[in-house]
Amino acid sequence: MSGRQRIVPTSVEELASVLATHHRDRRPLAVEGGNTLRGMLPPDHESDTLVTTALAGVLAFAPDDLAVAAQAGISLRALGATLAQRGQFIPFDAPQRADATLGGTLAAGWNGPRRHRYGRPRDFVMGTTIVLADGTVAAAGGMVPKNVSGYDMSKLYVGSCGTLGVLVRANLKTLPLAQRSRAFIAPLPEYTRERAIARLRESPVEPAAALWIEGFHKEIEGTDGPEGRLFLLIEGSDSFVERASRDVRTEMGKAGVPETYVVDGAVTERFERVIDALAATIGERSVTYRVSGDPAAIGTRASRMLDVAARCEMRGEAIGDVMNGDVYVRCTDADTRSFAAKAPMLDDAMHDDEPAARIVACDHPVRAKLNVWGQPPGTLDLMRRVKAHFDPAGILNPHRYVGAI
Amino acid sequence: MLHQQLVEALGAEAVKTAPEDLSVYAFDAYSSGTLPSAVVLPETTRDVARIVRIARACEEPLIARGAGTGLCGGAIPARGGVVVSFARMHRVLDLDLSRRRAHVQPGLVNLDLSKAVSMHGLFYAPDPASQKTSTIGGNIATNAGGPHCLSYGTTVNHVCALEVVDASGEVFRTDVDDAGYDLTGVLVGSEGTLGIVTSAWVRLTRLPESVRVWLAAFGDIDSASAAVSAIIAAGIVPTALEMMDRVIVTAVEAAFCAGYPTDAGAVLLIEHAGYEDDMNTLEAAVAQIAREHGALSWRAARSASERDALWAGRKGAAGATGRISPNYYTQDVCVPRSALPAALRAVGDAAARHHLTVGNVFHAGDGNLHPLLMYDRRDPKQVAAVIETGNEILQTAVDLGGTVSGEHGIGYEKREAMTRVYSTDDLATMARVREVFDPARMLNPEKIFPSGVRCPELR
Repeated sequence: MSGRQRIVPTSVEELASVLATHHRDRRPLAVEGGNTLRGMLPPDHESDTLVTTALAGVLAFAPDDLAVAAQAGISLRALGATLAQRGQFIPFDAPQRADATLGGTLAAGWNGPRRHRYGRPRDFVMGTTIVLADGTVAAAGGMVPKNVSGYDMSKLYVGSCGTLGVLVRANLKTLPLAQRSRAFIAPLPEYTRERAIARLRESPVEPAAALWIEGFHKEIEGTDGPEGRLFLLIEGSDSFVERASRDVRTEMGKAGVPETYVVDGAVTERFERVIDALAATIGERSVTYRVSGDPAAIGTRASRMLDVAARCEMRGEAIGDVMNGDVYVRCTDADTRSFAAKAPMLDDAMHDDEPAARIVACDHPVRAKLNVWGQPPGTLDLMRRVKAHFDPAGILNPHRYVGAI
Repeated sequence: MLHQQLVEALGAEAVKTAPEDLSVYAFDAYSSGTLPSAVVLPETTRDVARIVRIARACEEPLIARGAGTGLCGGAIPARGGVVVSFARMHRVLDLDLSRRRAHVQPGLVNLDLSKAVSMHGLFYAPDPASQKTSTIGGNIATNAGGPHCLSYGTTVNHVCALEVVDASGEVFRTDVDDAGYDLTGVLVGSEGTLGIVTSAWVRLTRLPESVRVWLAAFGDIDSASAAVSAIIAAGIVPTALEMMDRVIVTAVEAAFCAGYPTDAGAVLLIEHAGYEDDMNTLEAAVAQIAREHGALSWRAARSASERDALWAGRKGAAGATGRISPNYYTQDVCVPRSALPAALRAVGDAAARHHLTVGNVFHAGDGNLHPLLMYDRRDPKQVAAVIETGNEILQTAVDLGGTVSGEHGIGYEKREAMTRVYSTDDLATMARVREVFDPARMLNPEKIFPSGVRCPELR
């Protein structure tokens, strides 16, 4: 065997035989979907790469059952288009929908801004088929929304980053599309951020998504006020959207935010651009960290993380998920070389402040030297044992998972 | 030896070994198992850890138990052992209103949590029919559902973090927001075979601004089922969508006078919770669909007490069958919604073949059937017929693309049925997880896995 291969199986059988061979020969494999969330794992330049994008079919769609089954390599956009034909959707909210695959989104355990309203991607998975490291094909769950028959193995696979096996199929719940959606953009004057965040969280009408943004002007529209800007997404019936619009403006007024702009055109596309920004890099000179926690404290958490960027003489930009508590901070340097020089110091400083900070985007090879996973949880030993039982030869994405699993 | 060590560790008050005390713990709400060697009532996580270490040293299996309302033998000893009852760990430990989370002990009764947080405008969404008695810990073990999980999801969607005592007596904590494998998601629904949950952080949901409850009566089950499909197909996902057939409606009316029309072949109870602005439009749309599918009558509850009355009938349905039969067996299967008419016909046919009366009361919106098979426990022929019919219903569900348990779990009773849905490889993969958490199989042994399934030899 020589060189590094890129393997794109066109059938589950072929994929299983690739895994079985690598397992037998103890040859490591990098597993890849659309490669859109590559920044979430340390890079791997040595292993063969197994790509799932040729397994991209919709296997079953039963709109009356609110259920769909698809292969892992289908893009979120293609899957969404199929569902939209029957007025349905799945709120996965992952960046770069045209390239992001269903399997990759699930494997990465990506959680988007609408999860407080609709649930996490894991909550939509009714069943999965996985090919284990040794080539065994195993199904879990089923095609019904309620199913308590043994362990919910799909939960283990979602977020496992391909370290336990390769997802080849997912059976998912779908939802009816909202009748209407509307976005709001509001620049925040001084001393309004905390009040606006608190108002949004306590408001009787909850937005489908609410993001506080500072910077990201290349990706997201709107002008920052002294305390950034808000991007709000309202989804529901016509009458609900009208009422929510009134309520949002009243709440923002009470928070001291004078201007709230309504956006009615291309709302979905605009929201997708916000999602894209969460993992968007600026060439090879940026790194984006994510920290999850108490939604009430996203403002102070973001300020601390931006301070770290400033101390390291990098430009900091932030997005805070008001409803769920995630904070994304992108740190950018003027050029690639100085970025590479400063990145390790920045990484240490960020983890001193926020031990659980995770990298979600970074295209510079220096990523190999950064602590992309942050501090591992106390259950790391248990996780190591899980890995050892599923991939005893350690061939799947070796040393790229949390705690170098 | 075992008894003495347990008493030394926890005090005589917390340990039961008298046969008359133990016999209670050999049962759940349906099945019976073996007598435990001891029953222990811990008060803290440390107590549980000590119990596990002692049981391990004495090579006794451990069976965690909530209220014992399960129907599949999940909480009964299959081959003796120490039953850990959470009756004394029933407190709300902390409320985090900002994050809308409660930190609770496993013995807390489900409904008590909602009562404790209602003054803050919150509630705990999973609502199994047993919610007045069943505990959060038991709900976590079976990933319990309930009528309202159609829109709110089952227990697993509401568990944020767990504190667990493992098979060796060590304490660990999982959180869905932790980096790494979603151990929380695997522990929920694992029926006490992977660890013993000693506390949980659960998500609280805001009380809805507006709630409407509607009742539609149909001539037969087929037209009611078609209406269910049509409601979902119209893009309406109600908070609850429940069906009762003629047998159940008659029993319920005799018991509660809930106001159900007894001449109907099937009744749909529909609840929608949400924003007031949407309600009139939704009510009109659902009523229209019901009429188009031949609804004989339509009723909208106009007050909270009317809503409660309509629900009281549904929630008391199983109990009400006591009026028409000395015993009943509840089967629990889930099929794709569109297969409901076929599934219900097959259930009726199976019961008729075995000369049994069947009543159907179930979560139609989820396709989650609960046929109640009426019988007399004193007649061995009827008991055999119930077992046979129950098995045929399981196979029907599998044949229609469904599963052998929607929300009650597998426990002891259904473990052999696992092979109807899963291949040997599927089950062996599950067994790998068991091997990680409990290689000696001392936590709730003889549950979930059909006899003979082991973890594959690691190659």
